Amino acid sequence: MSETAKEGRYIYSIVSSGLESDLGDVGIEESRVRLVSCGDIAAVVHSCPAEPYVTKDDERAKEWVLEHSYVIDLATERFGTVLPFSFDVIFIGDDESVRGWLEENYDLLKGELERVKDRAEYSVQIFCDEGKLNEKIVAADPELQRLRAGIGDMPKGTAYLYQKKLDQKIKEGLLEETARLAKELGAKIDELADEVKIEKKVSWVPDKYKDKMMVAAFSCLVRHDDVEALGDLLEEIDKEEESSIRFSGPWAPFSFVQLKGTGR
Amino acid sequence: MKPERDYGLVDILDRLLNKGVILSADLIITVAGIPLIGLSLKAALASIETMLDYGMLEAWDRETREWYKRQLLESDPPLAEGEVVLYRTFGYIWYSQGLISSWRPGFWYVTDGRIFLWRREPEEALFEAFLEKIGSIEAGSVTDIGKEREVLDLDVEGRIARIRSSDVSEFEEAIRKALARQGISQPQSWQIRF
Repeated sequence: MSETAKEGRYIYSIVSSGLESDLGDVGIEESRVRLVSCGDIAAVVHSCPAEPYVTKDDERAKEWVLEHSYVIDLATERFGTVLPFSFDVIFIGDDESVRGWLEENYDLLKGELERVKDRAEYSVQIFCDEGKLNEKIVAADPELQRLRAGIGDMPKGTAYLYQKKLDQKIKEGLLEETARLAKELGAKIDELADEVKIEKKVSWVPDKYKDKMMVAAFSCLVRHDDVEALGDLLEEIDKEEESSIRFSGPWAPFSFVQLKGTGR
Repeated sequence: MKPERDYGLVDILDRLLNKGVILSADLIITVAGIPLIGLSLKAALASIETMLDYGMLEAWDRETREWYKRQLLESDPPLAEGEVVLYRTFGYIWYSQGLISSWRPGFWYVTDGRIFLWRREPEEALFEAFLEKIGSIEAGSVTDIGKEREVLDLDVEGRIARIRSSDVSEFEEAIRKALARQGISQPQSWQIRF
């Protein structure tokens, strides 16, 4: 960072708090993290030059991201559900600029804080054991059973073609079945969650799911009071032999906070 | 069943780099985290895709879908009387000012009088140039977030507008035709260079 850079404020989140408190040297590179408030809301920030955090060193970058994540968790613990910011968002200016922005966007920010109040984001993923599911599909379809039984007695060339046909049918059944499972799960989650979003890509799963097929993934915004009920509901699905559920959280509402049209 | 905090580092990176509030305004430097903090970190985020047929479940993503629909169907850009749209495509313009730089999305329109990028929400022309002001056009490629992308550089009165769309050569052809239609001679530097 150059010495000529303007003053800036790195922002971690927006919280419900009217007090200008100090969270300690818990930020990125041990920066002093503070609250800049406006009425009963505040921005969690640290002072820095108005330049983005840039590095070619991945390990350092990961440290930064984890430090950012830590501050969000700490703020959540202290002030309840926060509006989490992405990594590396920096205001140009001083505390007054931040306060001015809070003031200008107070209604929107307050509204979003109210919307996520007493709620957290959870992630629900459904995995299937492909082998078991295939067996289930064959077991449910007498035609597939006949086809499979007949293949053993066929000449090699014909057997090959019929095997391909069988595989194709099972594949179709698999797609149908997984779509059904996903739909069912989505509908169940929707009963209890305030909001549900489909995640089209998932970056990581724990090792125990690695050899399974991921069928669907959702992010959902759930009231603290409803988490237990959601857990019960997911447990029912998890009990089914061919499917297992990964239920993780809580997260700050990363997938659900939108601040369109702010900052003018 | 209780929710577990069994996150991996990648899980956290994914959320903090790809989600959360990002603001875009003059007051704020908005930085797309990934290109800045090194490309291999992006590689660490290589996704496991789910096999869900999204078409069947798109109702869940109501908001996204509705936004998309609005983008597609509603609010055509204001046109001059008699102005004819010759070509339209979804694309981007490279916006760079000080520390803020990003691809801004919208719909590109080539009409018989001008070329512009229309954003529908909120309604705004992000870029506009009258055909006669176009000095040269140059196709090339840039590396963006680890990906080679074809771009068009449009010289408008000495300033370069960098354009991206799904089919750059088709786009270039459309501008070429629009210019020919207006009887504007093609500048020398129209050779495609890669």
